[in-house]
Amino acid sequence: MFEIEILTKKGFKNSRGEHVLSDICGLGIENVTKVEYSSLYIIDGDISFAETETIASDLLTDKITENYVIRQRDAECLSEVISKFSDVKEADMINPNFSVIEVWYKDGVTDIVSESLIKAVKDLGIAKEIKAKAGHKYYLYGEIFRVTLDTIATKLLANVLIQECKVY
Amino acid sequence: MKCTTKCKTIEILNLSDEQLFELSKKNVLSLSLEEMKIIQNYFKKLKRDPTDVEIETIAQTWSEHCKHKTLTGMIEYIEEKSGEKTKKTYNNLLQETIFKASGELNKPWCLSVFKDNAGIIEFDSENGIAFKVETHNHPSALEPYGGSATGMGGVIRDILGVGLGAKPLASTTVFCFGNPDMESSKVPEGVHHPRRIMKGVVSGIRDYGNRMGIPTVNGAVCFDDGYMSNPLVYCGTMGIIPKNKIDKKVESGDLVLVVGGRTGRDGIHGATFSSTQLDGESDISAVQIGNPIIEKKVLDTMIEARDLNLYRSVTDCGAGGLSSAVGELGKKTGTVVYLDKVPLKYGGLCPWEIWVSEAQERMVFAVPPENIERIIGIFKKEDVEAVCIGEFTDDKKLTLVYDGDVLASMSMEFLHNGVPKPARRAFYEIKEEKIQKPIDMSSFEISSSLISSLADLNVCSKEWIIKQYDHEVQGQTIIKPLQGNNIETSGPGDAAVIFPYTAVKNTRKGIVLSNGLNPQYGKIDPYKMAASAIEESLRNAVAVGANVKKISILDNFCWGNPSDPEVLGSLVRATKACHDMSKAFEVPFISGKDSLYNEYFINKKKYSIPSALLISAMGVIENVENTVTMPFKKNGNKIFVLGVTRNEFGGSVFSKIKSIDGGIVPDVYPRESKDIMEKIYNAISGNLIEACHDCSEGGIAVAVAEMAFSANKGVYIYIDAIETLSPLKKKCRSGNEMTPVEVLFSESNGRFIVEIKPDNEEKFRKILEGSIFSEVGYVSDDKKVIFESKKNNIKVQQSSEVLLNSWRNTIIGC
Repeated sequence: MFEIEILTKKGFKNSRGEHVLSDICGLGIENVTKVEYSSLYIIDGDISFAETETIASDLLTDKITENYVIRQRDAECLSEVISKFSDVKEADMINPNFSVIEVWYKDGVTDIVSESLIKAVKDLGIAKEIKAKAGHKYYLYGEIFRVTLDTIATKLLANVLIQECKVY
Repeated sequence: MKCTTKCKTIEILNLSDEQLFELSKKNVLSLSLEEMKIIQNYFKKLKRDPTDVEIETIAQTWSEHCKHKTLTGMIEYIEEKSGEKTKKTYNNLLQETIFKASGELNKPWCLSVFKDNAGIIEFDSENGIAFKVETHNHPSALEPYGGSATGMGGVIRDILGVGLGAKPLASTTVFCFGNPDMESSKVPEGVHHPRRIMKGVVSGIRDYGNRMGIPTVNGAVCFDDGYMSNPLVYCGTMGIIPKNKIDKKVESGDLVLVVGGRTGRDGIHGATFSSTQLDGESDISAVQIGNPIIEKKVLDTMIEARDLNLYRSVTDCGAGGLSSAVGELGKKTGTVVYLDKVPLKYGGLCPWEIWVSEAQERMVFAVPPENIERIIGIFKKEDVEAVCIGEFTDDKKLTLVYDGDVLASMSMEFLHNGVPKPARRAFYEIKEEKIQKPIDMSSFEISSSLISSLADLNVCSKEWIIKQYDHEVQGQTIIKPLQGNNIETSGPGDAAVIFPYTAVKNTRKGIVLSNGLNPQYGKIDPYKMAASAIEESLRNAVAVGANVKKISILDNFCWGNPSDPEVLGSLVRATKACHDMSKAFEVPFISGKDSLYNEYFINKKKYSIPSALLISAMGVIENVENTVTMPFKKNGNKIFVLGVTRNEFGGSVFSKIKSIDGGIVPDVYPRESKDIMEKIYNAISGNLIEACHDCSEGGIAVAVAEMAFSANKGVYIYIDAIETLSPLKKKCRSGNEMTPVEVLFSESNGRFIVEIKPDNEEKFRKILEGSIFSEVGYVSDDKKVIFESKKNNIKVQQSSEVLLNSWRNTIIGC
């Protein structure tokens, strides 16, 4: 099982992150200084790392404005970076001053992005049966209390009726 | 009857009344005790208990959403006025009001009325145009994005499923939301903030409509805190259909072909869920998520199959899923369906879940066996899944089979006609309306009031919403939602006009779409609210050039709990107005929908919505060149006000912003109003009108300001020249009995502002002979909006730019 994260390259506008920051301000929360958004995909099935890299680079990434990271994912959250974009250093990804909120659809909820992904993978010539899941990852910068993160997650980023969120 | 581990027998034969009711509640069946007892008796006669598939099928078929039990049931209505009570019994409220009016009008150009997925009127000798408006309120309250998107997807499928399929040309959306600026602390736990609901709903409509390639061309938004917990989301779609594709009939032996999306646990109990109040503990399965790309492919392929005459009937899978769609198609013949053949998104679904799932983007066709290979080939070509799941029989029974076991066997007669008619009580007290104390203001105060009115949520620009929608796709939108000189200066159009030249070669005809809605009036008098909504929808259509003699209308009632006699009483009163106005204007209803139980309980406290009736109008315009927009066109042109201004402030925008108590709700005077509408049509057809705008929220002041700032021009209006009448219908001497501010902000119905070239004045006056109208001013080049009353020493003067900014800046980048 692989997780692919699509990130905006440095120097390009992270529009969705900016919108979320504006919405957070609209909730009256002031200590979030910056938000970066990246999209997440989990691909499960009889699929190799090379094929996953093809999916990430040829299908999911806009090579001008975005980079990708591929992580091996075992069952739940345990993840290990096994491939990352070439032009950004590992250190850039690790910033102790940010918190992360991940949002995923709950099992059983129609996820049309992952349905499209499965079809597109076949169109790409990878004729394998895979399962996919699509999610969202928000990096929130600033000194933010856990309770505030929970508020942002449930009042703004996820509809807990159909989505689950991980805050860390 | 053999049951598998996936299908349970529901023991009801020996249950007490209390246990029956508990069973209904526990399983979200939304069936009353009386209905449960009838089901119990039916199975007693069969000497067996029902299966869960059978119980779920009955609950879906008998749901308020599918059967409209309240509006077609028996109602004992008592109306009280000045202490006197009158009583009337309705055996079928819809039949005796709305349907009755359409039947009596019996317009030959109405091709399909209240009998299919949408109403159809004649467009030309070869084509009809279909229109349907649906609501998706409860799903949008729970999941605004998915709820609104599937609302749009659903109404598009209604158009695909009318007759043998119409091609969608345009969509409309109308919303009612809570105040988006509401403090978060005031929003109850378990409810999304109104801003989040608004953003989600708009995004859902945008993504579905734009991806389908159908322009969203017309709409309205109403804000009221009463919709905080329970937004209203109305979605409408209009399409064109050849006249020879309107009739459809299933024949025994036809195959049941399900086409489009796969079935999952989406929207389980959607039909029955819509008959319950929102209680903050809603189930994940009640939420639906749409996939417009699948629906777009279904649209394209089915129109090809239609034109090759490959199927005999079609309908969409909406509320109730396959149960509703196949059940309706096979109502007169009978049907057998093999549930294990239904393509699934994932395993693990019980047979009843497969049968009632409201998974999106599915259509059901009745296909003669000899055409099955060819039609599946057409769908396959575009990668659309099409699977034969059964056949229509001649036994008039519904038979459901799973893995070779018969899980349901019921007569169609019981299923479709076995539901008892509920008897409800309704009560309404007509309260006396009183004119408010005279409103007198200085010029400065009037100017400030105009700015506040333009900035009010219910008047201000909805550009943030409109510009997210593609209203140009298909290239046939002639009159658009925002109108003006350029992208920075625009005003609100009254109605949209579609010129369907790609669908109908060499035509000059157009299609007008408009709407009317004002829940504020309904808080005081639902009769006047309904009458005003009808008049407003017609006024909007006429303002762009429609002929009132060729307009049809649709009703969409969104009300609270009809078990409350006063709530139902107000609904009865609104339907009465629908009948009266339909007859008086000679405008037929062709389709409609009701959404009841719009109430929400949190911590045992009941929240109910303000009752809302949306009237959507569709008409045919003979020549699209004879249409007009609302911005002023040329300096020096003359301004006329058509219609009478009365002292009517009840429920008005001005009353709200100035906290004015009392006031009379605007009434409708059909004879007066229809006469003016017919004359405007004649004048527009004769190219005598340069610009036309209806007066609604905010009255003459707002309408004139909008016409001026959208053109970046100025205007001079002489208030004393505006014709007024006292509420006692006695003609006022202009301006004498109403103060200048009352004349400017009254929301009387039946009025238009029109711009005329001086050269056309004589001809225009001749057409208007016998009607109440007056010349009130002129278009000027100084970019100032001026209202003057010399008798009252009032001169209001404001720049167009300031007024435009007031109007534009309320909702920005939500």
